[in-house]
Amino acid sequence: MGRVAVVGATAPPERLAMFRILTGLFAIGYLAVRLPVFLALRDRDAAGFEPVGVLTPLTGPLPDGAVLGLIAATLAAGIASTLGWRFAATGPAFAAGLLVLTTYRGSWGQLLHFENLMVLYVVVAALTPAADAWSLDARRRPAPRRDPTAYGWPLGLAGLILVLTYLIAGIAKLRYGGLDWMFGDTLRNHVAYSAGRLELLGGRPSPVASGLVEHVWIFTPMAVAAVVIECSAPVALLGGRIRTAWVAAAWTMHAGIFALMLVGFPYPLFLVAFAPLYRLERLAELGPALRRTGRAARPTRSESSAASPSPPA
Amino acid sequence: MDRRGRTLVTAAAVGALVAPVALDADGFPLSTYPMYSQVRTTEVGFATAHAIDDAARTRRLSLEVIGASDDPLIVAGELRAAIRAGRAADRCREIADRWHDERAPDDPDVIEVVTELHDVVRLATGGDSLLERTVHARCTVGAS
Repeated sequence: MGRVAVVGATAPPERLAMFRILTGLFAIGYLAVRLPVFLALRDRDAAGFEPVGVLTPLTGPLPDGAVLGLIAATLAAGIASTLGWRFAATGPAFAAGLLVLTTYRGSWGQLLHFENLMVLYVVVAALTPAADAWSLDARRRPAPRRDPTAYGWPLGLAGLILVLTYLIAGIAKLRYGGLDWMFGDTLRNHVAYSAGRLELLGGRPSPVASGLVEHVWIFTPMAVAAVVIECSAPVALLGGRIRTAWVAAAWTMHAGIFALMLVGFPYPLFLVAFAPLYRLERLAELGPALRRTGRAARPTRSESSAASPSPPA
Repeated sequence: MDRRGRTLVTAAAVGALVAPVALDADGFPLSTYPMYSQVRTTEVGFATAHAIDDAARTRRLSLEVIGASDDPLIVAGELRAAIRAGRAADRCREIADRWHDERAPDDPDVIEVVTELHDVVRLATGGDSLLERTVHARCTVGAS
């Protein structure tokens, strides 16, 4: 277990670069998968527009052309910044575009809270030297020498943002739901509510939910675990096994939410949310290691000809 | 950036993240993360829309027809917001337009935007769950 380091955290440039790549790839993929939802914003009735966040000053929806331009520009800036091409400009452009686009989508009556961390991470990456390594910029001209805190602090800050979001979610349950949230049948009713909502809106509810909601006792330990996991998030900043244990617990909680409610929190489920807590540069070693493993597992020509007729596993 | 600058930026970021909690004001991307945090009883009101035939039999509509999205959070949240803002009739006509493109000739052609009070446990287990229904708007396909 290490000590908590945010302001004085150090890291090699490759770690921050991998953070840029992972957060960028996820956000681009998210925008691509949900492109129909963003495109459909052009057809919305203006009466339903309730601007939030940075768009609060708007008095009405954006023109259709502006929405289309925003989507195209954000995707283009996302690809460029993930590749690390002219990152000083494309990084902030991507962050601004993603912030405005997701805020605009949330300005029609429904916030999607799992988008928050995705946007905040991209903003953090955009304002840091995240393209000093593993980027087209670095290939074009070597990055200036910087103190290792220039690369470590942004990741420490992202980790701090991560644990605060979980802590705030845990506090919200105690603040709005009180101890009843843990020891009453609230969680069971939330699960039943999610299933019912899908049923009434023409979707297909989780088959796991219908089997479990009659057994209210199962949900008390789940509710206690959820609040404990969220409120104990700061231990993830300690690093080591306690961090990994917390990450495993948080991931399991999200997997359970998905299984019971079919509500997916893709950022933690795909592990990108937990990225700043780890030595991300090691991911680059996975490629060569996998290739070496593949070569070792594959029989040589002479071994292959001598082997039995059944194919190797 | 020197240590003092990093400390100030870190403190500002923490302040920004905690501000919605202190102000009890949810927003984006700074939030109180209130999802699923309120106490919920077994009786819950759902905003939804359905088609209804001459014999008053209701027919469920798809997420796409109700809310032009495959995300139940978006569909439910936006329909609830429309009802709250007194725009149920507008939303009814939008749903009717989408249903017009999808329905077979003998499908019902009247749409209702409703709030239904259900016992959610009975609803989730396939039991008789409807306790009350409030109709906010009714419209006919092709009438707009």
